[in-house]
Amino acid sequence: MRKKYYNMVEDMKKIRVFCRIRPVSRTEVAQDQDEAIVVKKIDDFSVTVETSRGQREFQFDKVFSAAASQEDLFHDTHLIQSALDGYNVCIFAYGQTGSGKTFTMVGDKEQKNLGIMPRSFNAIFDFIQENSSKFDFKVSAYMLELYNDRLQDLFVSPAGEAHAQAQSHGQARRVEIKRNKKGVVFAQGAETKEASSTQELYALFQQACANRHISATMNLESSRSHLIVGIMVESRNLTNGSVSTGKLSLVDLAGSERAAKTGAKDHQLKSLQEANSINKSLSALGDVISALSAELPHVPYRNSKLTQYATRVKAITNNAQRNVDSKEIAQLKEVIMKLRSGQTVEEDDD
Amino acid sequence: MASVNSSEWRAICDKFTNAQNLTDVESRNDPENDPFRSKYKARELLREIYCSLKSFEAGEGEEESGGESSERPVEDPPESGQGEDGLDQAFSRDSPGGLRAAKLGAVEYYLGVNHIDTEELPAGQEHLMNCMKLLERCRVSSDSVSLFIHVRNQLGILWAGRDETEMAQGFLETAESVYQRYMKEDGTPPTDMTEYFTTEEKLLTHQERTKRFELAYTHTKYYLAQVYKNLGQTERAATYCHSTLQRQLQLNQFSPMEWALNAATLSQYYINKGRYMEGRHCLSAATVISGLAGEAPSEAAAEESETERDRRETLRQKRAEIARCWIKYCLNLLHDAKKLLEDNIGELDTDRQEELKRARRGEEEEEEKERKSALLFGSEDTFDSIASLEEKVSSLFPLDFTEARAVFLVGQNYVTQAKDYFLMDGYVTDHIEILQDHSSLFRGLAFFEEDLERRCKMHKRRVDMLEPICNELNAKYYLMIRRQLMFELAEIYNEMMDLKLTLANRQADTQSLDNHTIKKFNHLCSASAKYFQMFLDSLCSPEGKYPEHLEEEVLRPALVARFRVARLYSRLISSEPSVQLENLNKSLENYKYVVQYCEGHPEAVATVNTELELSSEMVGLLPLKINRLKARMALNN
Repeated sequence: MRKKYYNMVEDMKKIRVFCRIRPVSRTEVAQDQDEAIVVKKIDDFSVTVETSRGQREFQFDKVFSAAASQEDLFHDTHLIQSALDGYNVCIFAYGQTGSGKTFTMVGDKEQKNLGIMPRSFNAIFDFIQENSSKFDFKVSAYMLELYNDRLQDLFVSPAGEAHAQAQSHGQARRVEIKRNKKGVVFAQGAETKEASSTQELYALFQQACANRHISATMNLESSRSHLIVGIMVESRNLTNGSVSTGKLSLVDLAGSERAAKTGAKDHQLKSLQEANSINKSLSALGDVISALSAELPHVPYRNSKLTQYATRVKAITNNAQRNVDSKEIAQLKEVIMKLRSGQTVEEDDD
Repeated sequence: MASVNSSEWRAICDKFTNAQNLTDVESRNDPENDPFRSKYKARELLREIYCSLKSFEAGEGEEESGGESSERPVEDPPESGQGEDGLDQAFSRDSPGGLRAAKLGAVEYYLGVNHIDTEELPAGQEHLMNCMKLLERCRVSSDSVSLFIHVRNQLGILWAGRDETEMAQGFLETAESVYQRYMKEDGTPPTDMTEYFTTEEKLLTHQERTKRFELAYTHTKYYLAQVYKNLGQTERAATYCHSTLQRQLQLNQFSPMEWALNAATLSQYYINKGRYMEGRHCLSAATVISGLAGEAPSEAAAEESETERDRRETLRQKRAEIARCWIKYCLNLLHDAKKLLEDNIGELDTDRQEELKRARRGEEEEEEKERKSALLFGSEDTFDSIASLEEKVSSLFPLDFTEARAVFLVGQNYVTQAKDYFLMDGYVTDHIEILQDHSSLFRGLAFFEEDLERRCKMHKRRVDMLEPICNELNAKYYLMIRRQLMFELAEIYNEMMDLKLTLANRQADTQSLDNHTIKKFNHLCSASAKYFQMFLDSLCSPEGKYPEHLEEEVLRPALVARFRVARLYSRLISSEPSVQLENLNKSLENYKYVVQYCEGHPEAVATVNTELELSSEMVGLLPLKINRLKARMALNN
């Protein structure tokens, strides 16, 4: 199901991928000054990365160096305008824990370097003010957390949720993703709150963040859950009465390093989802058996994913070479002994 | 449910049937852009059923507390409290309360699966957990045990999908122990979940109930196999895969070729671990069961129809694959035996041989039999055929030539079978791999052959098999394979050279060899050096330059090849001093390369420690020998 939508979006080519390089952290500099910087911006569209297998180059729609500011970043994402024009726009932040996703999307705790989310809020209301003579606007938002496949409404505090659950006995309000008649995807069961100013919207946002699951992984700001902020802007044209709704979705994804934890190798096409999941059907028993050992003498399957991607490194030398070697070596040792002792003797040996 | 209006009840049953139909049948026709349409409808029906049941319960509750209290079975106070799984609760005959709970549980179960199918996992989980809680209220009985197992299977899958393997393990292991306990203490064919909402006439036969129940448990075992694999407990996972296969045969729920391939793959796992008895059993079963798929259509039939052609292809190919698994069995058996029996220079150690033979005589047969009976595959019809196939080849390490030869012949037979399908023309890589295996079979057998002349002949067979191919193959496309072949050929020639020398030395009284022998010896020596050199040349760039830096996969082989070439050159026999000089120089050159490369690449030292050590010595000693030779040459002139 998910794959199908992924392919659809891919086909539409309306995805742009930006790359932002974060500055070296103090710990990294302390660890190894010279080797600290492994990612370099070559130009506005490419970066090079030092990997264990040498330098690799990657292409993006736009590259931001470590020197780029929050302002620069926001400026280049012209998406807010589209949302206000009635389109659905989505911004994802993807990367390992500690790579700076939250900083980019939210900003720092002290609110000195605002991220995309607060800047969007500002931009929205700035626009609204500018056009208040032509349009009537309504801004509402929902904020969700996705953790362990479960969507949590962040406008409900954990305590409040527990209370609600206890009351309705098993019919607790669940948030589910649905598609409405118009084909718009929405979160059913999530509370939407209206906001009439940047401050209000930001306050809602702060309330939501406070309700988030935070489990300490590598640094305090990160978490194992995804943060989803949806802002709907409904604009009614005062002249002809037409109404359009645009949506801005801002997503701060959980740290992607979990993929490394399962040990999935690059060439294995297992997504995080599938790594440890169980295959329901007995017809996959063959795959399960083949995977019991990486070095089966023979795998009697054709076109199996495992045989395609398994690195069956076939040694060039025979297994028995060791024995031949030992014989050769023993012989040569004898020769050497003879040569040494035979230095004074005229005759050739061997 | 005496108090329930029978027409109301029938309505519920109909709804249920509808819901099942929507879920299993209709849903396949749902359009791409609305793939869960039928399932959403089914969900509504299930919800309605749930509500109806709840309202009955409310009604019944009043009645029961009124007049039917005497009918309630005596309840033992729960001993260890309401544990998660109700394991400690005594089994009892079906009580009305229990049945009601089971029915509600069943609806929750189906709702749970429904939500999971529509990718709403949290909702699915909730319903499944509700089902579990409802079942806790009643004891595990023939009314509820099937549902008990099913719901835990589902929860196992769900949690595994979230990467919470231990959670999954918990649910599945509970299901497993409940099944085992139920079968031990009760064993009656339990109610299947679909029967909760059927009318009397449509109830299942005992046979059918058992079949479905057992299938659920087979799945439990299968899921546990995956869980153990994910936890890294491969040994256990293999055991559970084995059980799954066993059960499939016993319950007659398998497709022959698929089962056969799976068993053959499992055999490879066992072989890897040196467990030849289990490996042999898997392979024998694989062969027998693959036979159940029937004859492959003839060539004529294949010409006429495409389906027949495909079927012929598939059957023949899969059977050939099984043959290849057998080859690996024989191969590994021979080589593991060799590892046990060889001394430090790779020859058969007769003392060890004696020792092992003595040990074998004293081995406990009973223990073997017991271990074996636990793993048996098969059903009434197939036990015999499988056993008779097993008798054709030993699962014990061969300890002398006769035993080794028996294993060799079985392997060779399978080589012929496999080659019959994997023709060179069409399956180059597979064909060559089979040939390499055949060559290895010979190598394994040669170890046991005491007669050196015969041993030499076996090596000659290997050369005849591999040499033409090595020279025919396209150098660019088959680089890896050619390298393997070159290295193997070099070693075979080396081996043959040594054998000839030993033979000659045994015959002659004096140290000197006759011309014929010298010629033969030199030929073999040069051939060996040639192939090592070919291997080294294959590492060069298109312009013919040796790589500055050797890649990891070729590092050791390349250095060893140099070392061996050096040694071979120094062994060439010639009466011509100038030729001797040339050979010694070439020898020195190659020893020097080893030393110099390791100096320039310290990381390489560890891979060729001994060779490096000896090369250094030779680099020191050979120049002296060369100088002496030069001096003699000068004198003679």
